[in-house]
Amino acid sequence: MKAKRIDHVGIVVKDLEAAVATYGRNFGFNADSNRGGEVPALGIKNAFLPVGESDLEFIQPTGEEGPVAQFAKDRGEGTFMLSIEVDDIDGAVEHLRSLGARVGNPNNGIAFVSMKSTHGVNLQLVQR
Amino acid sequence: MGVGATHIDHIVISSNDSGTVAQTFADNLGIEIKRKMIRPGTSAQLAFAKLQEVILEFAGPPEVKPGEEVKARLWGLVVAVDDIDSAVAHLRDLGYNVGDPSKAVQPGAKIATVKAGTAGVPFAMIQYNALPIEGATA
Repeated sequence: MKAKRIDHVGIVVKDLEAAVATYGRNFGFNADSNRGGEVPALGIKNAFLPVGESDLEFIQPTGEEGPVAQFAKDRGEGTFMLSIEVDDIDGAVEHLRSLGARVGNPNNGIAFVSMKSTHGVNLQLVQR
Repeated sequence: MGVGATHIDHIVISSNDSGTVAQTFADNLGIEIKRKMIRPGTSAQLAFAKLQEVILEFAGPPEVKPGEEVKARLWGLVVAVDDIDSAVAHLRDLGYNVGDPSKAVQPGAKIATVKAGTAGVPFAMIQYNALPIEGATA
């Protein structure tokens, strides 16, 4: 397995619209209007702000359950997750499991690595 | 108008054992640790790997204290800008508390930290080729 690219950095925010407006107006990072929105299954809404070849993903919890909501309760706002692109998600998961890492089953080209296998870093693998 | 960022330059992963964490990421993800150094004036070790245009920086003590569990967290971001003085002036005009651009650990680079107003994200800007590189000849 070989990591290919930083796909995005997930950032939990309290107010998605305010964060997008601030980063756009003040920093020049503008949200991609073709991506993001409500994701009821995950209890979040999100927006993607391209910066070079990678994105910042702003994530606001919309419910009380799930890791994003828990992060918001514990820490408020901040860097939440690192997403790395791989060529072959199934191969990457198999490789990591062979090393003893705990990894969820891929779903729609995305797999999450247990924080117990990354010393506490919330890590996502994605195949584009 | 913005800070004139071209890309995310590096992402910092902070830990109490930068050597172990860097090696875990290298082993698990097939990335190569290109460089290790002690941050000048501190005992912290920095280890760097690069994934295309983005550098992963592993920062912290070089090894964990005896009896402690290795713990890491995704920390902050540094974006590359074309003109750090203009970027700093722009943000200060908007009321941001931004540190003065100073010499970075990367040769020839200057870095400035934005101290608040970034949605909880430790955030800095870096400009390469901002300073003469020591030892380089014209």
